[in-house]
Amino acid sequence: MQTKQTINIIGATGNMGSAISQNLSKGNYRLLLYARDQEKIEPIVNEIKNANPAADVEAIDSNYNGCWEADIIIVAVPYGAQNEVAEKIREVANQKIVISIANPLNETHTGLATAPDTSAAEELQKLLPNSKVIKAFNTTFAADFSMPVIDGKQVDAFIAGNDAEALQTVSELVSTVGFNPIIAGDLTVSRTLENMQLLLIQLGMKYNYNWLAGWKILHN
Amino acid sequence: MYELFFKKLNEKVSFTQEEQDIIRDYLTPKKIRKRQYLLQEGEVCKMIAFVEKGALRSYSVDEKGNEHIIQFALEGWTISDLYSFLTGEPATYNIDALEDSELVLISKSAQEEILKKCPKYETYTRLQVTGAYLAMQKRLTSIISQPLEERYNSFINLYPDIVQRVPQHMIASYMGLKPETLSRLRKKIAEK
Repeated sequence: MQTKQTINIIGATGNMGSAISQNLSKGNYRLLLYARDQEKIEPIVNEIKNANPAADVEAIDSNYNGCWEADIIIVAVPYGAQNEVAEKIREVANQKIVISIANPLNETHTGLATAPDTSAAEELQKLLPNSKVIKAFNTTFAADFSMPVIDGKQVDAFIAGNDAEALQTVSELVSTVGFNPIIAGDLTVSRTLENMQLLLIQLGMKYNYNWLAGWKILHN
Repeated sequence: MYELFFKKLNEKVSFTQEEQDIIRDYLTPKKIRKRQYLLQEGEVCKMIAFVEKGALRSYSVDEKGNEHIIQFALEGWTISDLYSFLTGEPATYNIDALEDSELVLISKSAQEEILKKCPKYETYTRLQVTGAYLAMQKRLTSIISQPLEERYNSFINLYPDIVQRVPQHMIASYMGLKPETLSRLRKKIAEK
């Protein structure tokens, strides 16, 4: 038997946070759902349990305690809220895997708010120097989670980070969710991954992909 | 969060504040609830757990499904499947929490990093493994040859407040006795 890993999802009521929670609940994980608006979490917990009575999921009212219990932390908040979250969890996130899903888009969606020589994930790593920050789930839209196979092709999900063991763990997590995990490189590759999603968002608006689109590498 | 950990650490080997800061960077704080597993048989044990608060046990399960408790860990103790941790082979023990607990975990890779940056830590790990070996030898001798009453008394000396915290059947399991045998033994001791 594999011991259940505990995952704390911060921002579990957002589009991405709730989609990730829903899909992860099918795996051998214990999920703790946190959001600032506590009233909105319980309906999501109930929804997950209705769909899957065996799901091990509960709402948690303290972000600090949730991360203290967790083996893996998913920061599913907008880039702008990243600093505040990091400040709160730094102590209890020590040595743990922290997944950055953010895309630091500027307000007009014409570019990224981060400087070219950094990324949301690298900024999070600076804020949490003793955590193992991994970039994942930033190249997938929330709608993709309910349909990880589009047009007969399983959507690729890219992962970047500096710790080999953590990359492996997150890779398994990405598989559980239903995507095809591809380890892209170290954390600096997040710059490319975040720009890839900027492009996909821009193309989606231009050609009306209806938010159901993803990346797929074709190869022999 | 790491108070007891550093207290115990400094009892064995004295570390400077600077060294303690290096070590702290590699520790994983982990809360675990009652009945939750930390390790299950068949996995590789990648962490050593130090108990800041709470209680855990390690146990093996025989082919008939009976649990045999190997060790209890209360505040200040460490617990792991040391064999699996050191060899990288699958664990034969399960470890779970008997109470809501607060742990300090040290992974193998964290331990290696600490050793690189703070060589003195080697002394601490050596003393820890030596301590575990001595405890094992004591336990083995006790279970093979010590009279039952003495065995119970040395158990109580080892874990002073455990009787209040752990159900009787678990103590019986640790001692390799049937619960009714332990119950008779305790009655006998009480009557003295």
